[in-house]
Amino acid sequence: MRAAILIGKAVYSLSRSLKIGGGSAAPGLYALKIDANLVEKLAKSIPKNIVITGTNGKTTTSRMISHFAKENDLKVIRNHTGSNLERGIASTLISNYQLLTTNYQLDLGIWELDEAAFNTVAPKLNPNIVIFLNVSRDQLDRYGEVDKVVNDWCSTLSKLNPQTAVLINQDDKNLEKLEKYFKGKVVKFGKKNIKNIKLNGLKGSKFTISNLQFTIPLPGLYHIYNATAAIIGAKLLNLPAKSFKDFSPAFGRVEKFEWGYIFLIKNPAGATQVFETIAPELKKNDRLLLALNDNLADGTDVSWIWDANFEKLSTINYQLSTTCSGTRAYDLANRLKYAGFSLDTSDVEQNLEQAFKKAKKNLKGRLFILPTYTAMLKLQKILAKSGIKKHYWESD
Amino acid sequence: MNITIGYLYGDLMNIYGDTGNIIALKKRAEWRGISIKVKVKSLKEKLKLKEVDLFFFGGGQDQQQEIVSQDLVKSGKGKIIKQEVEKGVPLLSVCGGYQLLGDYYKPHKGPKLPGIGLFPTYTLASHDRMIGNIIIESMFGKLVGFENHSGKTYLKKGALPFGMVNKGFGNNGADKTEGCIYKNAIGCYMHGSLLPKNPKLADWLLKKALEVKYKKVVNLKPLDDALESQTHHSVLQSVS
Repeated sequence: MRAAILIGKAVYSLSRSLKIGGGSAAPGLYALKIDANLVEKLAKSIPKNIVITGTNGKTTTSRMISHFAKENDLKVIRNHTGSNLERGIASTLISNYQLLTTNYQLDLGIWELDEAAFNTVAPKLNPNIVIFLNVSRDQLDRYGEVDKVVNDWCSTLSKLNPQTAVLINQDDKNLEKLEKYFKGKVVKFGKKNIKNIKLNGLKGSKFTISNLQFTIPLPGLYHIYNATAAIIGAKLLNLPAKSFKDFSPAFGRVEKFEWGYIFLIKNPAGATQVFETIAPELKKNDRLLLALNDNLADGTDVSWIWDANFEKLSTINYQLSTTCSGTRAYDLANRLKYAGFSLDTSDVEQNLEQAFKKAKKNLKGRLFILPTYTAMLKLQKILAKSGIKKHYWESD
Repeated sequence: MNITIGYLYGDLMNIYGDTGNIIALKKRAEWRGISIKVKVKSLKEKLKLKEVDLFFFGGGQDQQQEIVSQDLVKSGKGKIIKQEVEKGVPLLSVCGGYQLLGDYYKPHKGPKLPGIGLFPTYTLASHDRMIGNIIIESMFGKLVGFENHSGKTYLKKGALPFGMVNKGFGNNGADKTEGCIYKNAIGCYMHGSLLPKNPKLADWLLKKALEVKYKKVVNLKPLDDALESQTHHSVLQSVS
């Protein structure tokens, strides 16, 4: 194990000093080649672990639980750069190795795992709590069909330690059958927990859970679900969850800037929720910049854009200036054409940096940027280069 | 003029953005002043002769595919589809839909799922996932799409492939054929969605639908396809 950690640490400092990435995946990748059981061994020294999985909302929910933990002065470790494969988890553990080995410096591990990684990594983390947020069509090239994702979860659950408590979104019909495959405690959450919902546009929402009012700086009903999962998850950890004061959204997830917003889009359900959220907020001088990449982390199949309801963005009664960018910019522009966007006000610029400059030039309203995952990472670099934002791995 | 599209099992067989094909057919007809009605023909609906001018049949998950396979035979829909195709009614099927229109699909476990025998093909489950961008040469020129299947389809003697594979796997990853064409019916493995970036094929389907329905030669009004061509071109460039 030592050799694996040393290699991992070396790769970590190298990739940070070269600024080729935050060291979010590479160290784990190298170290796991040397010791395949690294995650299992290191996770044991963390007193409590919580795992979050689902198609949408993992990063936001993790961040919310982390917020509650920190409010209660707990020391938290989590894979917070959206790197949710086993190598990402291993990298996080390696970079915190000192804390892990000097007894009880950490209180809680918060791990977001993607649909496939859940099956291989969750048993290794032996978590106290698992949260299932939702499941819908995602990168089919990587995860397969929804039925397959759920069936794999069922078989993982049937082997999971029954000491674990499992939290399931009961309003997602696809998750219904999970319950009967798990021998331990199952807690369900959903509409039944949420009262007095007040959606306040892009500013966020208000709602009540167990007679306690919460305000979140994130728009849309889907974020209320994430918050509910986080609140109930925190309760199961015996963490008082009282407010989202001082909570800030994760990078690229409804991130607000002086000149506009960034909303990550990555699958039909998530993208459609974003369209529904921003469509009523768009004003005449606002602009759109959409960026579609087809790298591995985005899904190499861009067919999903035909299942996402771009029509919701085009039914507003004026045409917004729209730029399409990314490796599959033309596929996106074509989708918009068939969704009813006017070709007179939309254009294609595959290079994201150029597209960003163009979209910001003479901007009178706000710019709404909707990138897929790797386009968002690229955008972070572009923003950092122009001094707008720190490298993402430097911010929490 | 008007066209009724029969979206076969649209609620169960619509995976990988296959609905994009319906969107493309609908828009390209509407832009020419041809009105379009889309009727989903699933488990609950009946299918009558002469009711549909153009069929679309997309891909589905294993469980759904099994249910649909049974319904095609039991409800008599399969028989009607075959009769219509014999008359020249155009049909596009992708992936799971294509498989069910052949002789049979043999899964890893369990008995064969019978197809309706429209295409002289059969499909065997395999452990290879054939996935990625695909380019084929066809009678419609080069076509681009995205394939994602583990079933391997084989053409029987006399079957005409829809195209030959330039990049990708096609029917079975071995014989370089992709899909099958019989009269005006096409089966293939191309998602992507297929029709929005291969507008020539979309227009051919519309043209055939109108010609069979109105029993005359139809010339569709040309559309400005600059963006569609660029999309097609950019896929060709990034793949090759």
